[in-house]
Amino acid sequence: MEYATQHRATEQAIQHRFDPYADNGGTILAIAGEDFCVVAGDTRQSEGYSINSRYAPKVFKMKNNVVLANSGFHADGVTLTKRLNQRIEWYRHAHEKDMSAPAFAQMLATTLYGRRFFPYYSFCIVGRGMVYGYDPVGSYERYQCRAAGSAQNLVQPFLDSQITLNGQKDAQPTPLSLADVLCIVKDAFTSATERDIYTGDYIELHIITREGVETQLHPLKKD
Amino acid sequence: MSSKLAGGFSFDNHVRNAALQQKGLTLPKAVKTGTTIAGVIFKDGIVLGADTRATEGPIVADKNCEKIHYLAPNMYCCGAGTAADTEFTTALIASQLELHRLTTGRESRAVTAMTMLKQMLFKYQGHIGAALVLGGYDCTGPQLFTIYPHGSTDKLPYVTMGSGSLAAMAVFEAGWKRDMERQEAIDLVRAAIESGIFNDLGSGSNVDICVIEKGKHEMLRNYARPNERGQKERSYRFARGTTDVLQTSVRSLVTVVEGDQMDTSS
Amino acid sequence: MNSFVERFSSGSDLLSTHRKGLLAGEPELAGRWDAADEYAMPQFDLPHCADPIAFLQRQTDDSLAEDCRIKIQHGTTTLAFKFAEGIIVAVDSRATAGAYISTQSVKKVIEINPYLLGTMAGGAADCSYWERELGRRCRLYQLRNKERISVAAASKILSNIVYSYKGMGLSMGTMITGWDKSGPGLFYVDSDGTRLKGSIFSVGSGSTFAYGVMDSGYDYDMSVADAIELGRRSIYHATHRDAYSGGVVNVYHVKQEGWEFKGRTDVTDLHYEYQDQAKSMHVPAYTLH
Repeated sequence: MEYATQHRATEQAIQHRFDPYADNGGTILAIAGEDFCVVAGDTRQSEGYSINSRYAPKVFKMKNNVVLANSGFHADGVTLTKRLNQRIEWYRHAHEKDMSAPAFAQMLATTLYGRRFFPYYSFCIVGRGMVYGYDPVGSYERYQCRAAGSAQNLVQPFLDSQITLNGQKDAQPTPLSLADVLCIVKDAFTSATERDIYTGDYIELHIITREGVETQLHPLKKD
Repeated sequence: MSSKLAGGFSFDNHVRNAALQQKGLTLPKAVKTGTTIAGVIFKDGIVLGADTRATEGPIVADKNCEKIHYLAPNMYCCGAGTAADTEFTTALIASQLELHRLTTGRESRAVTAMTMLKQMLFKYQGHIGAALVLGGYDCTGPQLFTIYPHGSTDKLPYVTMGSGSLAAMAVFEAGWKRDMERQEAIDLVRAAIESGIFNDLGSGSNVDICVIEKGKHEMLRNYARPNERGQKERSYRFARGTTDVLQTSVRSLVTVVEGDQMDTSS
Repeated sequence: MNSFVERFSSGSDLLSTHRKGLLAGEPELAGRWDAADEYAMPQFDLPHCADPIAFLQRQTDDSLAEDCRIKIQHGTTTLAFKFAEGIIVAVDSRATAGAYISTQSVKKVIEINPYLLGTMAGGAADCSYWERELGRRCRLYQLRNKERISVAAASKILSNIVYSYKGMGLSMGTMITGWDKSGPGLFYVDSDGTRLKGSIFSVGSGSTFAYGVMDSGYDYDMSVADAIELGRRSIYHATHRDAYSGGVVNVYHVKQEGWEFKGRTDVTDLHYEYQDQAKSMHVPAYTLH
């Protein structure tokens, strides 16, 4: 608890303990469709009440065309992405083919677990045809849709109601078109921006189809 | 406890709550207005400004709240900090000022309000989380003060408060001039508040402005609205019958006989 | 760049030096594959601070640290029991991160191989990682010894692994079940190092509720259908009373020919199914005085 009246650093007592993490906020989500997959994230990077950057992407196209989104501590996310890309590259040199999505998903899990005793503070979502969601130490599962980050508890229930149609009587999940999914993704982010102070500035969308990965940038509110 | 009605705060549950907190229970969070508030003196008066976001931790609790509070007809006060504390503190002082005016038959002075506020806040040793910007026009001319939660005060020609105070002060430091025109002052305060809205995550939404001049004031609620929500892409109405009905029970209506009266004797 | 080229070039003496230079936990590149290296104990990075264990606990244990940031997924009600026709394994499917239900669709029965099952309670990542590792060890055993590993030996491998990490903050409560030469096998293994042989176990925060139903309805000679129903009902009742359990019930039957998946049922559907049934088929009807 603190008053939002003075600058943070001056108020908190300096604590001499090892604290290598920061929470850089931001929200990510992914939805798998019939023959496509959308992975999106906002681009705001913040710490406390300050915005570090209005455009700091946290969704990355990997070298094997898998899209990886991570929220939490930005530096850990970037390091993780770098190491994964390196191992994708090695894999390609060794096997003369691209790493498949399920193989990448498993590799991410073991990479995260390799830091079981010094975790990456990173909540990951992987998309390519299917969506995989992770906890920070590598427990993972396939999902139809998944949200993570600072507005996770705002966005996930919305996706549950619109995509998986949880608890809705007689609701038949009809296959969603790409246009429908894009609408839902945009509305999820504009709504999250309204109520979560750490989400905003831009949405970066990655649309994965058989043809490849297309990237779109849409503005969000900047307050 | 005595049955006599005592004013002020009740500390009945303080020990219990402290014990619960020690056991690891988190007490409910108060709504904070992680805020940008500001004020300037211009040629003929005072311009006060505030953003309109109220937060509960990382969540926006109110997108269009009012942070410029009434103190007296010639005096208004912007509040930052715990929302309830700023509202009740200003209301309490407003009421005392009203009584004071009725007793003395004179217009309230800004210093009087400032002194009452600082004495109250000091008494509570910072436990009342109210950080205020007080602006008024009295017989001594335009007056502008800041009051901190622990009871200290400042008297300056341009002031900012709240988590966005640095962003707003940067604008003031760059653009403030002595003896500005009314519109010039409004524009400067608006720019300062907008700087807080966009650069401080605790502040957001709209700009409220209040101009106080000799013998009059003007409240410009939502003077600027730089953050309108865009049109939603889809409609999210659920079809009738989406919620499963588990049980239905129909009660017959209660008939009220004409002429029955509510018992108000006790 | 040079070291990268060297890594792929021939020359075995170079290799060993470079291997040491690799980041911990990083398996060696293909082309230079060495089974002994590959199946050695994996290495884990530790934070460079005075007390790494206290550090980890502060960051990840939401029951102790108020401000813990890295909320790890936890799993919850699991049970397994032996009966005349094998073993029934039943689990719920909810994972929680703090108070948040992070998923309702976890597979808490880990299919180690066609003859071995493991269950998941405690840290989801700990269970899935180490039981995957156990699967590799079991396969290696099979290749070395030309026969399948016993359930006792498999569970002991797991127990030895977690014991070597004792006090480091692993959290798992698991049951290893399967069928070997000596018949059906059921072992409880947890991260404290406990390893118990038994015929009825339930693990997780909802275990007390599950035990209540399971014990009162248990009969060694019951039919397969009844046994499956007992497992399902026990999990259902646990999900009804325990907030950390829920989702669907997954049931497995372990037989001589290996395990068989016996289906998943949503606990909400079960709730209405049981509500409509005549009261309790297993629990004796007590009268109130």
